[in-house]
Amino acid sequence: MPDPAIEVKGLNHVYDDKPVLDDLTFTVEHGEIFGFLGHNGAGKTTTVNILTTLLRPTSGVARVCGHDAVTDRDEVTRRIGYLPSEVRMYGHLTAQENLEFFARLSGVPHPAQAAAETLAYLGAEHLAPLRVSTFSTGMRQRLGIAQAIVHRPAVLFLDEPTSGLDPQGVRQLRETIQRLNEDLGMTVFMNTHLLSEVARLCTTIGVLSHGQLIYQDSMAETTRRFPDERSLEDIYVRVEDATP
Amino acid sequence: MIVTLTHHQLRSIRRQRTFVMFLGSFVLITTMAALLGYSSSRTIVRVYDEATKLLAETGQPAPPNPFDVTPSLALLSNMTIYVPFIGAILAVVLGHSTVIDDKASGIGRLIFSRPLSRRTYLASKVLAVALALAVVMVVSWAISTVAVLLINGGISPGDVGRLVTYFALSWAYLFVFVLLGIVTVLVTRQRATALLTALGVWVAITFVLPQVTSGIRPVASLNPLTAPAPAVQSFFQMTSHLRPLSLSEEYKSASATILRTGAAESLGQTLTHTAPVLVAAVALGALCLGLIHRHDYSRSGSDE
Repeated sequence: MPDPAIEVKGLNHVYDDKPVLDDLTFTVEHGEIFGFLGHNGAGKTTTVNILTTLLRPTSGVARVCGHDAVTDRDEVTRRIGYLPSEVRMYGHLTAQENLEFFARLSGVPHPAQAAAETLAYLGAEHLAPLRVSTFSTGMRQRLGIAQAIVHRPAVLFLDEPTSGLDPQGVRQLRETIQRLNEDLGMTVFMNTHLLSEVARLCTTIGVLSHGQLIYQDSMAETTRRFPDERSLEDIYVRVEDATP
Repeated sequence: MIVTLTHHQLRSIRRQRTFVMFLGSFVLITTMAALLGYSSSRTIVRVYDEATKLLAETGQPAPPNPFDVTPSLALLSNMTIYVPFIGAILAVVLGHSTVIDDKASGIGRLIFSRPLSRRTYLASKVLAVALALAVVMVVSWAISTVAVLLINGGISPGDVGRLVTYFALSWAYLFVFVLLGIVTVLVTRQRATALLTALGVWVAITFVLPQVTSGIRPVASLNPLTAPAPAVQSFFQMTSHLRPLSLSEEYKSASATILRTGAAESLGQTLTHTAPVLVAAVALGALCLGLIHRHDYSRSGSDE
């Protein structure tokens, strides 16, 4: 049986003497689109920071595709793509140059070709020769996704990917994530506040509260378990309220 | 990987205003030093010619032309003041901007979510900025050589070598301040704090330490004089032992010997003056390595 895409066991993290993650445990299987929900300060971004190897946890285990995020950093970073909440790239470089740079860092054999193909896949070839300093938020977001997938990672981490996007941008992003999941088989781990997007997109959800996972199940099972709630928002509030 | 990053960094540096300003400033100060040297030598020669004529009219013998006994590179002596003053402050800004952009913009998060070691990242940054600094020094050396050639009507191979040595020393001295600019970014969380801290250290090295370690020469930081008279007050006798820490003084002493504008020194003495600069560069390089490993790039982009 293959290792899960993401495996978190007894994860703890303390920031400036304040506990952020408290014995966090969950698993995400390959091919899932996992919606990671939680209030501000619940520890969602800290979890992503640990899984993307940017932060060492105080204790506990975080694995991606069976590789430990602390002791096996190189293997983890070869398998992940990461889109932070606010996308910034080198403004003095073009989109193509930015993508080539990140492709090289990821050890892609033909960076120029990979960059061009990724932009074409996202329908953003027209951005290739343009300097990033001239980009709108939506264009930056598309380029951000392109840098996250230019090396075709197995697991894609998206931290609040819809922040700052207009409704059309949100819809485009949703379609892109679905395509990445269906065409390329990428597992997607998404931190978000937009419950409507989670309901339309995610196959599984997890709810984080004060550093602990208080709920995790498939969307289908969630809808079955909470038949009286009209929306995911109602379910989210009920789960949060039920937590001591 | 290091080639990719160094190439990328060099391209970024080339497009930065900081670097253009750095290069432009060095072209300007080197030219200024040469012009000032030329102007003062012309004035002195004119006065000498007038005096010689007057002395000849009164039948008195003329003394030798002062430029026959003045070192041929003396016309560039102002460079030894410009480098610690203007060059060092620009080097701090260059080092600062080399690492702050990735940190403040949040690109650091994207970079370190790739299979890239922090040591490689730092090495490529430092290598790129060292090469950029070398380009500036080569341009300054070329201007200086041409200036000496034009003003003195020729330049000996020895003087060419001395200029090369002087600019190599200046490169090492400025590299210390580049590293200082990097260290302060890695130590602090805020862009402004990092820059102010680095500038505080620059002030201490350029103004405070020369005063403290040679208290009997209150203008020591301004004039590249030769060895001071012995300190008489016990405080300054004590602090004079800290002179090796006064990098700008050590730099000026070594420069004066190399350009032959100061008192003649043995090779050993010159190396003694050079050693603190090299030790500081190695120490700051090691500090950078230690700091990059514990720097929290997960907060990259959230500190501004």
